[in-house]
Amino acid sequence: MSNNNDGRRRGDEDEEDEEEEGGEVAMEAWERAYADERSWESLQEDESGLLRPIDNKAIHHAHYRRRLLLHQSASSLRIQKGLIRYLYIVIDLSRAAAETDFRPSRMAVVAKCVEAFIKEFFDQNPLSHVGIVIIKDGIAQRLTDLGGSPELQIKALMGKLECSGDSSLQNALDLVHGFLNQSPSYGHREVLILYSALSTCDPGDIMETIEKCKKSKIRCSVVGLSAEIYICKHLCEETGGEYSVALDESHFKELLLEHAPPPPALAEYAIANLIKMGFPQRGAEGVISLCSCHKEAKFGGGYTCPRCKARVCELPTECRICGLTLVSSPHLARSYHHLFPIMPFDEMQHALPGNLSQKQPQTCFGCRQSLSHGSTSGLYVSCPNCSQYFCLDCDIYIHESLHNCPGCESLRNTKAVDAMKT
Amino acid sequence: MASKLYTDDVSLVVVLLDVNPFFWGGALKKTTTTTTNSPSVLSFSNFLNHVLPFLNSILLLNQLNQVVVIASGANTCGYIYDSSETNTSEAGVGGSGRMPDLCERVLGSLEEFVVNDQRTGWGADPTAANAASGMLSGSLSLALCYIQRVVRGGLLHPQPRILCVQGSPDGPEQYVAVMNSIFSAQRSMVPIDSCVIGVQHSAFLQQASYITGGVYLKPQQLDGLFQYLSMVFATDLHSRNFIQLPKPVGVDFRASCFCHKKTIDMGYVCSVCLSIFCKQHKKCSTCGSEFNHPHLEPISTSEQK
Amino acid sequence: MPQVRILAKNFMDMVAALPATKLDKLYENPFICEAVLRSLPPLAKKYALQLLFIDSPISAKTMEGWVLADGISKHRVAIDRLLQLRVFLEEIDRKKESTYKLNPKFQGNIQKYLVYGGSLPRQPMPSNVTVRLPTSVDLETYALEQWEGFLLQLISSSQVEKLTSFSASMMKFFQRGLLSPRENEAPKLTENGFQFLLMDTNAQLWYIIREYISTAEGRGVEQMDLISFLLELSFHTMGEAYNLNTLTDIQRSVIKDLANLGLVKLQQGRKESWFIPTKLATNLSVSLSDSSARKQGFVVVETNFRMYSYSTSKLHCEILRLFSRIEYQLPNLIVGAITKESLYNAFENGITSDQIISFLQENAHPRVAERIPAVPENVTDQIRLWENDRNRVEMALAHVYEDFPSKEVFEATCDFARDMGGLLWEDTDKKRLVIRGEYHQDMKDFLRRQK
Repeated sequence: MSNNNDGRRRGDEDEEDEEEEGGEVAMEAWERAYADERSWESLQEDESGLLRPIDNKAIHHAHYRRRLLLHQSASSLRIQKGLIRYLYIVIDLSRAAAETDFRPSRMAVVAKCVEAFIKEFFDQNPLSHVGIVIIKDGIAQRLTDLGGSPELQIKALMGKLECSGDSSLQNALDLVHGFLNQSPSYGHREVLILYSALSTCDPGDIMETIEKCKKSKIRCSVVGLSAEIYICKHLCEETGGEYSVALDESHFKELLLEHAPPPPALAEYAIANLIKMGFPQRGAEGVISLCSCHKEAKFGGGYTCPRCKARVCELPTECRICGLTLVSSPHLARSYHHLFPIMPFDEMQHALPGNLSQKQPQTCFGCRQSLSHGSTSGLYVSCPNCSQYFCLDCDIYIHESLHNCPGCESLRNTKAVDAMKT
Repeated sequence: MASKLYTDDVSLVVVLLDVNPFFWGGALKKTTTTTTNSPSVLSFSNFLNHVLPFLNSILLLNQLNQVVVIASGANTCGYIYDSSETNTSEAGVGGSGRMPDLCERVLGSLEEFVVNDQRTGWGADPTAANAASGMLSGSLSLALCYIQRVVRGGLLHPQPRILCVQGSPDGPEQYVAVMNSIFSAQRSMVPIDSCVIGVQHSAFLQQASYITGGVYLKPQQLDGLFQYLSMVFATDLHSRNFIQLPKPVGVDFRASCFCHKKTIDMGYVCSVCLSIFCKQHKKCSTCGSEFNHPHLEPISTSEQK
Repeated sequence: MPQVRILAKNFMDMVAALPATKLDKLYENPFICEAVLRSLPPLAKKYALQLLFIDSPISAKTMEGWVLADGISKHRVAIDRLLQLRVFLEEIDRKKESTYKLNPKFQGNIQKYLVYGGSLPRQPMPSNVTVRLPTSVDLETYALEQWEGFLLQLISSSQVEKLTSFSASMMKFFQRGLLSPRENEAPKLTENGFQFLLMDTNAQLWYIIREYISTAEGRGVEQMDLISFLLELSFHTMGEAYNLNTLTDIQRSVIKDLANLGLVKLQQGRKESWFIPTKLATNLSVSLSDSSARKQGFVVVETNFRMYSYSTSKLHCEILRLFSRIEYQLPNLIVGAITKESLYNAFENGITSDQIISFLQENAHPRVAERIPAVPENVTDQIRLWENDRNRVEMALAHVYEDFPSKEVFEATCDFARDMGGLLWEDTDKKRLVIRGEYHQDMKDFLRRQK
């Protein structure tokens, strides 16, 4: 507990702590919020002395632009992303996981965050598989097989939340290595270890195991809950993974979720392949059909294999009859915005009201909001491709959620041009 | 807090109208050739006779209801009506004194839209095969931008939903854009209702309604379109919890391949970027990965344990 | 606040309570049809729309098939309401099953509305006659000023600079139930009065209008005419000018009262005079349905019990003063603190903690309204605790008996009181006891018998 807290209180807050000990100028938590932010300094008055609300929009948008451009420069090289991932989550359930520096305990926090992580993971990596391994009493055991159903994984984990004994990194790595070696070569093999203990109790030389993982191209990442450990750092460096240590619960969650988006694919890690897949149709509600996976008549729903017309209950799966990989196409489509990102829009500035020589756009093409009164700064953006004008709000929405330029999409000509480019 | 305010039946309905001349022209041709008893064909003016009262009825149900109409034509799509702009624009035009008559305004801007749409089309080569499809991706994107603006407006906003009235066939080349819009709608919990008035089912709209929790309906009798619209699509989201709505008749999950923009139900998927192709390729045209084992069909061979 | 809905619905109940013939007559006016339709519960609206172009009656059984199993209670409520308002007419068919049909007048009017679009109750005046029309912003400030002025006059006539021209008797009538008159002193707000002040504007408006309508007959105005005129008024376009000559004499007298409330603004040109409906008027029919008025909040409450209200309104200040200590007043900012004393004051006046909390929550400034909870928990808890504090002591009437002649008499009295269950306290040494107030008569009889 103390360990953690000390880590968080840094810099200027130290001064206040001293003052507090002095006993004179002790500040309440709420007072400190004002003292730190000095919020009164940003107050603005209008001509008649009325207080004006602060306009954060321009600042907000500037933040976003920086993020966008950063992202843009990073992905300009068309980095290949590993979208098919085979990931084992290794959860340390040794004695150390019972510590209560995270409330109510490390174990409970880990379980909660893993649940969120698995959901997010499947959202971002539609065709990937996840399995869970736990370390307890010095041995590693596999809780669930690699699979595509988030609910099953979460359920299995929630049933096994007890901790005892020591932790063993080597046992865990050996076990995972055995399983991942069987996964298809086009998939990315990954291990994510959530490590609570400060030591590892191994039966042999862990360096050999690390070397083995490296050879099998298993990318190992560790999120620690206590302090930085050399062996973990070494493991991550060797295998190309990431190592981080959480300060508190929210930070832990943040670190964990950073592993959800697909990592940049390193060419040697996975062999690219074309996989034949079928996109089955969903049957009408209320129709009775014979199901190939349960071998019984089912009522309504279900999907039909496009090749052999057999009925299956869930996607993604493999057809029992003809062996075709069946996926739901929307599942694939979720990741397409990674492939075809829209260009960042050009920033424009409204000319002063007096200057009428320049033709100025009146409303945002996307939402029809007036561009002149939308923000005080008079900023707006324009798409370099279709040269339609957008307001700052739409700019953010288009790039962060919609991933379509409404201007380009609503002109058939530009689309033809676009299609040729890609 | 926000959900508490959602119990109201106040709605914002963004209606995407298909005014593609290729579709309506084709429909007209059919009526003249097949003469009588073809209830599945509707002329454009009749279509408007059904839709305009429907728009009126949405506005009638609640004074706070809002209707936005977006037309999608052969080459462009754009806003043609926004009920929230009624007061300002009408007063500004010099107060003709008439009640903001929805029909008149819709028809007026529709005409303007069609003329503009045609003019935009002149520059392009008139490949009818391409232009015959709807402009779903563009109109959906516009609708979502508009809805975002309303939602941004504060905690108290009408519940948004989108209604697509489409007759033109899907344009497979819009696949990625349409799917992007659908997912964005799903994230912002905006249901997309679809009313298909064409001859064929629309795979795009089936998926859109299925994923976003909207209603998909292909009316049998187009001459009773208003009744369908008022029975099904006028239902606010709150009442949908209590009402029997048409059950989905299956969803067409077919995708479009990236190489030829064809709709396919089986294809090859790049393991690196998940691009879909209808044929074997040596190199992925999207991410540039080279495929060294061009023939590796079932995963199962390598996954056997 | 629950009162909002009850009051607003009450108005439609008033309409529903009209005799069938009068109700049918009301439906001749398309605006009434429209307003009534909008006031219905969502499901009922949908049914009315669904049957709009169906001429043959629909059996009740068929309609039940339209809803899912857990919607059946809502379905019943909807059908009941439709029947009460005579939008649906019930008929028993040959198979003795009940069928429903739309009221033909209602049906005709709504059909017309849908096909031809709405029309205006009356034509606005051309803009060359009506010079210097107020802008919509001006109009809104005017409406609010009028309304707040009226409210201020209602609760404390001393505070107001300009009085409305409501007659004193009218004012008295409005104040009935809200204020309790005291001799030689300004009247004091009653519990209802406070609740009234904490309601939102539309609910307050309807309360006043209901009172106004119920007294209409005393002024020689037919209730039905008034109802239809008010509903019609809400369909005028805000900010347009309408000639007063188009109104009947009765309506002209009514409109002067409405101008006092801020529903319309009256203006006089060279030859003609006209009225301009404000937002309050056009919102009238909106607030009849469940959807509450949409307005922006202004209050920020902090964990240290300080309250910042971004408002220029004097009325807001007065309302806040009811339960908090106002410390500073800037042009558009009121700073106050919620203290134990200020709250005790409020509780004494019959305001409940729930009312205060819901007022703070519903008027939360947009910046804090997104937070959950909008009002800090420690503040809401403390408000409730302080209220509970007051309830720790329960007042009950009691009587003290002392100076007993002998110990025997005292003990006999104690036993008697104990048997009745009225003994509260006894002191054997000093021979004193306290009895519940309601047993006083019995005790007197008993003591008399002892003598």
